[in-house]
Amino acid sequence: MAVRRRPSIPNQTAAPPNPDPGGDPQPPNAAPSLDQFSLAPPKLGLILSVLALFLIPFFYLLFVHYQVESDLRYYISICVALSLVGFVFTVGLIPVATRYLLRRNMFGYDINKRGTPQGEVKVPETLGIVTAIVFLVVAIVLQLCTLTADSDWLVEYNAALACICFMTLLGFVDDVLDVPWRVKLALPFFASLPLMMAYAGHTSIIIPKPLVPYVGLSVLDLGVIYKVYMILLVIFCTNSINIHAGLNGLEVGQTVVISFAVLIHNLMQIGASTDIDYKQAHAFSIYIMWPLLTTSLGLLAFNWYPSSVFVGDTYTYFAGMSLAVVGILGHFSETLLLFFLPQILNFLYSCPQLFGFVHCPRHRLPRFDTQTGLLTGTNDMNLVNLFLRLFGRCTEKSLCIRLLIFQALSCLMCFGLRYILAGWYK
Amino acid sequence: MVVRRRQSIPDQTVRSSELTPEKEEELSLAAPKLGLVLSILAMFLVPFFYFLFVRYRMEIEIHLRLSILVCVAISLCGFVASALLIPVAARYLLRRNLFGHDLNKRGTPQGATKVPEALGIVTGIVFLVVAVSVQLAVSFLQYNLTADSDWLVEYNAALACICFMILLGFVDDVLDVPWSVKLVLPLFAALPLVMAYAGHTSIIIPKHLVPFVGQSVLDLGWIYKVYMIMLVVFCTNSINIHAGINGLEVGQTVVISVAILIFNLIQMGASTDPDYKKAHVFSIYIMLPLLTASLGLLAFNWYPSSIFVGDTYTYFAGMAMAVVGILGHFSETLLFFFLPQVLNFLYSCPQLFGIVPCPRHRLPRFDPQTGLLIGTSDMNLVNLFLRLFGQCTEKSLCIRLLIFQACISFTLLICLKIWLMSAKMHPT
Repeated sequence: MAVRRRPSIPNQTAAPPNPDPGGDPQPPNAAPSLDQFSLAPPKLGLILSVLALFLIPFFYLLFVHYQVESDLRYYISICVALSLVGFVFTVGLIPVATRYLLRRNMFGYDINKRGTPQGEVKVPETLGIVTAIVFLVVAIVLQLCTLTADSDWLVEYNAALACICFMTLLGFVDDVLDVPWRVKLALPFFASLPLMMAYAGHTSIIIPKPLVPYVGLSVLDLGVIYKVYMILLVIFCTNSINIHAGLNGLEVGQTVVISFAVLIHNLMQIGASTDIDYKQAHAFSIYIMWPLLTTSLGLLAFNWYPSSVFVGDTYTYFAGMSLAVVGILGHFSETLLLFFLPQILNFLYSCPQLFGFVHCPRHRLPRFDTQTGLLTGTNDMNLVNLFLRLFGRCTEKSLCIRLLIFQALSCLMCFGLRYILAGWYK
Repeated sequence: MVVRRRQSIPDQTVRSSELTPEKEEELSLAAPKLGLVLSILAMFLVPFFYFLFVRYRMEIEIHLRLSILVCVAISLCGFVASALLIPVAARYLLRRNLFGHDLNKRGTPQGATKVPEALGIVTGIVFLVVAVSVQLAVSFLQYNLTADSDWLVEYNAALACICFMILLGFVDDVLDVPWSVKLVLPLFAALPLVMAYAGHTSIIIPKHLVPFVGQSVLDLGWIYKVYMIMLVVFCTNSINIHAGINGLEVGQTVVISVAILIFNLIQMGASTDPDYKKAHVFSIYIMLPLLTASLGLLAFNWYPSSIFVGDTYTYFAGMAMAVVGILGHFSETLLFFFLPQVLNFLYSCPQLFGIVPCPRHRLPRFDPQTGLLIGTSDMNLVNLFLRLFGQCTEKSLCIRLLIFQACISFTLLICLKIWLMSAKMHPT
């Protein structure tokens, strides 16, 4: 749930910012604030260090550790190069888009800073649209560069583009029009339909070895049930990022961590395999994850604490869909779910409130103390508050860092788990 | 150019949102003009089914005919969904201050009404859901789109392009992006199409030019791909500038898509090549949802408009038609159906390129006394018709322009039929 609701309720909009009811022709009141409005500079130092932190191990694995075919190395390098161009464009376009969004009253107030001067600032909302559009352009150009007109992967690529684009559209419509939450839940279902058509893979699962005597089979063909699982995975990925939110930089941060984990996983699978199709599946995932990673980093430059922009449901839906798409079409959805472990825990822990058994407030945010500048955990049942209750009060920035470290550690643990369990259950 | 600018200047926004609490319950859209729209639908379905089930009974295989029937059924559901969702969406759009005032009624009480804008988003989303459902239904029933069929590439590329265009159109309607962005982004939206186009890039030189050119078939290669991108940019923008009258944007799309559908059936009937037929079936799978979703929109947008369609709709419709023209391999025929838009564009060039001064809106002048529109000296078809045929009401002007559109399309179709019949009688 995007927690920074723009004041779209009419009476709230009417109260400030125009104190005198206006009869005298004062100049259009956004003009002064638009001139006054200047986005804080992006936190490029932080972002570029994170980017370097990603690029070094990635290129090490690609060029040194694994013997990857030279044409695959070439295409992946092109992918990285184009994605970096996308990063530059994202950073360049966000300030531009901000002006247009503010002009259309698409902004919110930072509830976690209420009571301080920063809590009065109008923070532009829905900047996820910039990330998504740059992503789509980069992904489309990548398609031209890495695939030929008769490649088998053209179907998957176009289906992925269609799904991600449709999800972005629905997310943006939601941010603009504020659709009811029941509709919000159903939207990912429609957006995932092109995926159903394009998934031309096996719908069977491998039964873990210990369970084979009970099931009676070692491979079970789920058929249509697998397609239902795919739809559920899409709905889960999109909404789980949406509810594990509420702190500056949390939504984008978790996406960055997960997509980097996916990229490393893809490289490791390419390096460890000799099957062409299998390698192609993971290369396909790389071609989608790199633009997601770099455009998200561009967004994070402005969204990291203290946020000068908010990302909107557009971003969380777009990111969730992209991750689900690569998991499904790259045939590694189980691994993807392992990377989503914090989101799963957050969802499970939130269930009582989500289903109404426990009272669910509008925003399940921590309480902000203006005196100390620290956040205090409430009784709300989500990871954000749980961390505050377990590890004590802290600033918003440290809480976000703690949660992202938890995300990174659980991804690392999943790599370990896969390695250990590989012989045991498959 | 969308002519009904919403009031996005902030002080007006503050005032209108102060007013909104009382007025919010007042929004009740005028009842949809269902009688008109359903008659149009019937008028289309009768010849369509005649061609499909009677005239070309032998020539079109049963599985293709059944899959087209499935497509019609799902598209009609789309029509109902469109008509039902528009009033719902209108409330949300109005609440977010996405509205305009009807400039062609300025001076009358109707000119002061806030008309919800950007309803093309409903049409676009319904279209996408219907198009994907058709794809799923047809493959589930195993008619001709299987999971490893060649047409899946084209279908997904079409969906991706059209979806991207809807997204760009809606972002434009909400944020009012500068025109340079409006021109550049469709280029990128057209690229998946270029990748998916796995056809010949050669053109057939007309016989009497062969001695000059030296060849009867000329392979254009990448120039053909550039032509495809130009076609996309043209189709999307040309509908956008042939606008400004209640019901004109949707009306022209309805006329052209009906013409394309009839053309598809005629070509399927006249051919024996299965790939050729598949190309036209593909076009039908896209045009039918476009037609029915647009008719749902027209029910509210026909004169007098209770809603405006926004750039979302014109971009979406233009892209959908360009996509079928390119992937169905009949882009030259498509340009023929677009002849009024071509003429309007050519006639508008001096103003578009700044050689002649170009006002913000190139609309006719409305006389509140008589209720008639008077042509200005602006260089577009709308004003030309008023200057040539005299003042008239907005509704009759729109009907005249649509009749002009229909005449061009059906003249072409009749010529095509005659040519086909004579080819049969005198096989070469």
